[in-house]
Amino acid sequence: MRIVALAGKRLAASLPTLLLILVGIFCLLQFAPGDTVDAMLAQMGGGDAAIAADLRRFYGLDLSVAEQLTRYLWRLVRLDLGFSAIYGKPVATVILERLPATLSLMGASLSFAFAAGMALGVIAARRVNRWPDTLISTLGLIFYATPSFWFGLMAIVLFSVHLQWLPAGGFGDVAMGYTGARRVLDIAWHLVLPTLTLGLIFLAIYLRIMRASMLEVLSLDFVRTARAKGLRETRIITRHVLRNALLPMVTLIGLQAGTMLGGAVVVESVFSLPGLGRLAYESVVQRDLNTLLGIVFVSALLVIAVNFLVDMLYARLDPRIGA
Amino acid sequence: MRRALLAYLRNPASVLGAVLVLAVLAMGLAAPLLFPNDPLGLAGRPLQWPGANPRFPLGTDPSGRDIMAQLFHGARVSLLIGFVATLVATAIGIAIGALAGFYSGLVDTVLMRLTEAFQTLPNFLLLLVLVAVFGSQIETVTIAIGLVSWPPVARLTRAEFLTLRTREFVQAARVQGLSDIHLMLREVLPNALPPVIVYASVVMAVAILLESALAFLQLSDPNVPSWGNLIGLGRNVLRVEWYVSAIPGVAILLTILGVSLVGQGLNDALNPRITGR
Amino acid sequence: MNRRETFLLVGSSLVSVPAIAQETPRRGGVMTVHFSTEQRILNPSLQASTGVYIVGGKIQEALVDLDAAGNPTPVLAESWESSPDGKSITFKLRAGVTWHDGKPFTSADVAFTAMEMWKKILNYGTALQLFLTAVDTPDPLTAIFRYERPMPLGLLLRALPDLGYISPKHIYETGDIRQNPANTAPIGTGPFKFVQYERGQFIIADRNTNYWRPNLPYLDRVVWRVIGDRAAAAAQMEAGQILFSPYSALAISDFQRLARDPRFEVTTRGNEGNARTNTLEFNFRNPILADIRVRKALAHSLNIPFFIENFLGSFAKPGTGPIPSVSTDYYPAGMPQYPFDVAAANRLLDEAGHRRGAGGVRFSLRLHPAPWGEDISLFATFMQQSFAQIGVRIEIVRLDAAGWLRTIYNDHNFDLASGWHQYRSDPAVSTTVWYRSGSPVGAPWTNQWGWNDPTIDQIIDNAATELDVPRRRALYADFVRRAQTELPLWMPIEQIFVSVFNKRLRNVANNPRWASSSWHDTWLAN
Repeated sequence: MRIVALAGKRLAASLPTLLLILVGIFCLLQFAPGDTVDAMLAQMGGGDAAIAADLRRFYGLDLSVAEQLTRYLWRLVRLDLGFSAIYGKPVATVILERLPATLSLMGASLSFAFAAGMALGVIAARRVNRWPDTLISTLGLIFYATPSFWFGLMAIVLFSVHLQWLPAGGFGDVAMGYTGARRVLDIAWHLVLPTLTLGLIFLAIYLRIMRASMLEVLSLDFVRTARAKGLRETRIITRHVLRNALLPMVTLIGLQAGTMLGGAVVVESVFSLPGLGRLAYESVVQRDLNTLLGIVFVSALLVIAVNFLVDMLYARLDPRIGA
Repeated sequence: MRRALLAYLRNPASVLGAVLVLAVLAMGLAAPLLFPNDPLGLAGRPLQWPGANPRFPLGTDPSGRDIMAQLFHGARVSLLIGFVATLVATAIGIAIGALAGFYSGLVDTVLMRLTEAFQTLPNFLLLLVLVAVFGSQIETVTIAIGLVSWPPVARLTRAEFLTLRTREFVQAARVQGLSDIHLMLREVLPNALPPVIVYASVVMAVAILLESALAFLQLSDPNVPSWGNLIGLGRNVLRVEWYVSAIPGVAILLTILGVSLVGQGLNDALNPRITGR
Repeated sequence: MNRRETFLLVGSSLVSVPAIAQETPRRGGVMTVHFSTEQRILNPSLQASTGVYIVGGKIQEALVDLDAAGNPTPVLAESWESSPDGKSITFKLRAGVTWHDGKPFTSADVAFTAMEMWKKILNYGTALQLFLTAVDTPDPLTAIFRYERPMPLGLLLRALPDLGYISPKHIYETGDIRQNPANTAPIGTGPFKFVQYERGQFIIADRNTNYWRPNLPYLDRVVWRVIGDRAAAAAQMEAGQILFSPYSALAISDFQRLARDPRFEVTTRGNEGNARTNTLEFNFRNPILADIRVRKALAHSLNIPFFIENFLGSFAKPGTGPIPSVSTDYYPAGMPQYPFDVAAANRLLDEAGHRRGAGGVRFSLRLHPAPWGEDISLFATFMQQSFAQIGVRIEIVRLDAAGWLRTIYNDHNFDLASGWHQYRSDPAVSTTVWYRSGSPVGAPWTNQWGWNDPTIDQIIDNAATELDVPRRRALYADFVRRAQTELPLWMPIEQIFVSVFNKRLRNVANNPRWASSSWHDTWLAN
């Protein structure tokens, strides 16, 4: 239960940050031209002033900014994320509906980037300065430099349009009405290209970090000792080197969590995935403050949680660090 | 300095990076000479394939504009955006990091909370909000990109300042009665800068990427011939005229590759460590 | 040509579907539809937009719809007549119709919907029913609409297919109408029953087995797939994952490509009732634009036929004024036009006193294009390029939907704006409001230009209440003539929405608002 206590402390320490973010975004968006009723009128294709005034009253937009903010914070304290103007549903429901797509995408991308980055980094470090290393490092650089949305578009052109191997987008084929395992497989199939796209740049980063980290550890004394003792190279790598080399990688996950969510906005847009990233973009365009703040809140919690887990993992990996 | 330069030039990757960046720079400078007409003006029929018309070696986009002209003029835009946004981010980051690292205590706590807030919030999301609020003009977009990119610079600067402020030369200067500002700017900062400068290359790469992502979502300035705008325009014709999106994407790729390699080269040259090279 | 050939030729020209041998409709099948913009609500009694009709129009029904020739045809109302003074319009309603939950459809539903929804909430319905005072229901199958000013029967009947959807009173009478869960799970009398709405993904509706038209509908199910990206939608069309894409939701180049594919039909057929014109709106608060010579010069500098031919393809034509040519009753030919004439444009600007300065620029203007529609941004770029030729430098300002609406129609913070004007079956519904003064600040798609003309106001008001059709027609001709002469805004391009069908679908596009209609007779061949 020590972990729970630690988690609680971490959460409490993050509260000022959370508050800062929410209040900041709330106040910032007040300056955007147009409000949610304007967005509604645009969608409706018209409407008269009476309807507009009525709707503004309905959504509480006729109150002062300070009042709206106070109301929002008061609701938040009671863990009520409010009502979404666009969707006519509680924000919590809307976010929960969109969470699976984003979590699957981020989870898959992270796993892919981590696993592939680790593997390639190890190979590159072991064959340092020879052609596998050069090839992998070059590829890594190219992946790092490639704009993700461009890669996504080109991937669609190649794999969906011309080769017709993979679907062009969507989170599963809805009209087919798959259920159970078939549905999971179908969704997984649809996530292949998005995962590659989102994971690409992180793959490049992990690759480079892993390689550098490995090289650093490989040159340390205890490795030379292990070699002198006659241990097989592979065993050295897996039992001794990897553990230490992974430390910077693990830290990086925590730092990248927020960036990945931002990247998800673009990838979800390119592949028409019903995720949080796209929802965030929609809520900015439609000026749905409750939904936007809800997403910001959830994503901030996610980042804090990931960082917390990373710290726990770090402590496990490096026995020198006390809890 | 000389030693560092030689070390840099001995690294083939770094040289490649420098060549790429210089090539892009040259493109940008040559643009008004090679393509004196407005790159966004109507040049010919829309959606002509590269090479189909000798006047347009890289074809035309959906609005009938010369893609090659946009590519060259876009080089200026991309480099300028990258440079200015990096300047903004670095300036803010150094200022905040320096203050936090130098003073610690309450100042540090407050500034670090601010930095944490900016880092916890996905930076692209904040960028979307800033663009929705302040508009899509290129100046606004550039500053907005700078505004979302400063936190890592601040952290880096702070770390450097934390280390450096306990050094003897700082103590010596303090004993002499020099003011805090003097200490920060004249004593500590020059020593803290090298890693920050190196990191600036990362910031620049990210800035160029962010602008192109915004342009792709049709949120950037349509009055400038940016590469990202071209990719966004090509989205509607992706199936057949995919070259409209492909060509500027390659340009972005090579630019960022160059910038990254230069940054990495600088890092290796200025901090010789055992990297297996 | 022998008699048989003549007969076939005449016969095939009468029937507006491809001349295939008469087939028997096949029962069953799932029709998948491209749903490009999600809506907040699906109830067409509360929101009048094509985005709602594409779904809500299959689940709920209106009093009347349009037949193949574009005339009102009975749906929930079987017959109608107007009193001589035009202030009472009686509808006889259809018997034996039930709501999807089994309750009977009666005149009480009509009265409730008209007074509580059309009059108070429905956009454009509020204007149309402004002078509606009551709906009397002497018996469950009769509804009498009482107006305090004469309501031309033609105007009402032509507007009702869009603005006449009925909602069930027993569902909406308690609680706030706007918060009612039925708004995203509609209950109607239509051929398809709502099943499920998975936000961001799909909507499903199944065949209504108790539909009042016997043995209809043919289809088992309709699935609307949410696809925001145009390229993805075209890909799904080609993969057969969607069978119908309505309302010009694919990229223009995709229309041209799919039109060459024998599997698909790319056409404006079935959308003749949904015409729109591209607008160029002038802000008179900028003194440069208050000068009519400048406005005319800008109009003359655009080579519209060139733009249409090279950028829009065959689905657009040059516009001639605010009333598009699809309006067979009111379209006036021979109105003042502004053909492409660069010399005239330059001369007008010189006359207006705007000399060319540094770089050949006379003055600068900001252009705010609406953020929807591929054609709007293409047109904005084309305008920027064209105006540069006569020395007018344009800065295109990008805003999202909410920002654009607020900036143009509320803050009036623009020089030029460009968007769509949707013509809704009659000039009085949503066209004259672009010219008439008196709209409150902030009302979108109304006269917010800082211009007003008492003469045109008078013409508009008279035409709205004129019961005699030829006189009404003449009044609208006057309206257009004045609009084109004063040029407070210009509507140079006329478009009809484009639909893309997979040819397996049959009985499609058989009325001028087919995509919005109920699809009760649509079927799917193998």
